[in-house]
Amino acid sequence: MLGLAACRTGRRASAVTRRLLHPAPHRAAPNPPDPTSNKKCFNPELLSFLVCPLSHKPLRYEESTNELINEELGIAYPIIDGMPNMIPQDARMIQKEKKQEEPEQSQH
Amino acid sequence: MAVVANRRCVVGLCRRLCGITAMRWFTRFQHTDRQRVETHFGFEPVSEAEKKEKVQQVFDNVALKYDIMNDFMTLGIHRLWKDSLLRLMKPYPGTRLLDVAGGTGDIAFLFLDYIYSQREIQMRRELKSWQNLSWLEISKSYQETGQDLLGGSHAVICDINQKMMAFGEKKARQLGYTKGLSWVVGNAEELPFFDDNFDIYTVGFGIRNMTNIKQALQEAYRVLKPGGRFLCLEFSQVNNPLISRIYDLYSFQVIPVLGEVIVGDWKSYQYLVESIRLFPAQEEFKAMIEDAGFMKVNYHNLASGIAAIHSGFKL
Repeated sequence: MLGLAACRTGRRASAVTRRLLHPAPHRAAPNPPDPTSNKKCFNPELLSFLVCPLSHKPLRYEESTNELINEELGIAYPIIDGMPNMIPQDARMIQKEKKQEEPEQSQH
Repeated sequence: MAVVANRRCVVGLCRRLCGITAMRWFTRFQHTDRQRVETHFGFEPVSEAEKKEKVQQVFDNVALKYDIMNDFMTLGIHRLWKDSLLRLMKPYPGTRLLDVAGGTGDIAFLFLDYIYSQREIQMRRELKSWQNLSWLEISKSYQETGQDLLGGSHAVICDINQKMMAFGEKKARQLGYTKGLSWVVGNAEELPFFDDNFDIYTVGFGIRNMTNIKQALQEAYRVLKPGGRFLCLEFSQVNNPLISRIYDLYSFQVIPVLGEVIVGDWKSYQYLVESIRLFPAQEEFKAMIEDAGFMKVNYHNLASGIAAIHSGFKL
């Protein structure tokens, strides 16, 4: 709003120009409550493109255990320092019955 | 004495190079039968499971000094090659990138820089036509710029090695890349992403370390949107005989020594140079990319073929 007040006829274009051409430097991380700046914190936006590598189905974020869960196959992928580990060999089985041979499923 | 030592060196090298031809022949027959899961770790034939473990070990060992070592080994030229990759990629604000095996983040950072510069060019262009703005348009422009300088661009870095990623993430925080980046530990042969999800898939100096390259290429095809582009920067085969000889000497006699001096690890760098020799040559790799379903596949040699960028489209 301060910028707007300064904008008057002749000067307004230059103020906007300055603002547009010299945007808040992206390297300075201007917003403190940025979820990605906290390394321990998992960013739930990742769920919009992450799937289980075995079934290619979406996952659910379980906050209490800090894991990504594939309900259908009973697999829990750990999140370490905010980074999901999506390697099936490193994942934990929640229920062991049935579907033990999931790797077959990924090969079409 | 020096002459004798030199000759011994050359004889050793020749023996190694003969071995390379044999290994190249051997690699053509790998992966054909999933029951007989033999592959190689450097020049040493190993099982697939062993290779995975050994490659993991290599990158665990070198993670912390990976960047410094790259600069030393290539005399900084790898940066120019990555720039070439970006020039070929020409991303625009809104592009979604998946950088596989991009542990230390180099390509993703270059990508974000490129997007920022493109956005700035766009804004300059817009400004030229904005000389008589209404108040509404001015206030709107404030909202837009504050929100998203990346125009929706996003880079996802996926690497199988947690240590490399942790190092890369730390580097990103130090350099101030906070937005538009995601880090996912994953296997290129079983990517944890939706089908038809990315505009560009890149893999820089990573694909030769993968156990099953064919499967990795199929996964690349799966996660790319129709119209998306596959770009691979990798060491390749030198086509100039003189440069080839110098390059071989440098690779086998100098790089492991550098590895020992800088990282304290001869074996890892011995593996790296051996794995480069075993990676399919330009045409052969091009055929592999085509087999995965990509169209309009071509390649650009860098430094007489020391490295090459392969490109293909999912159409």
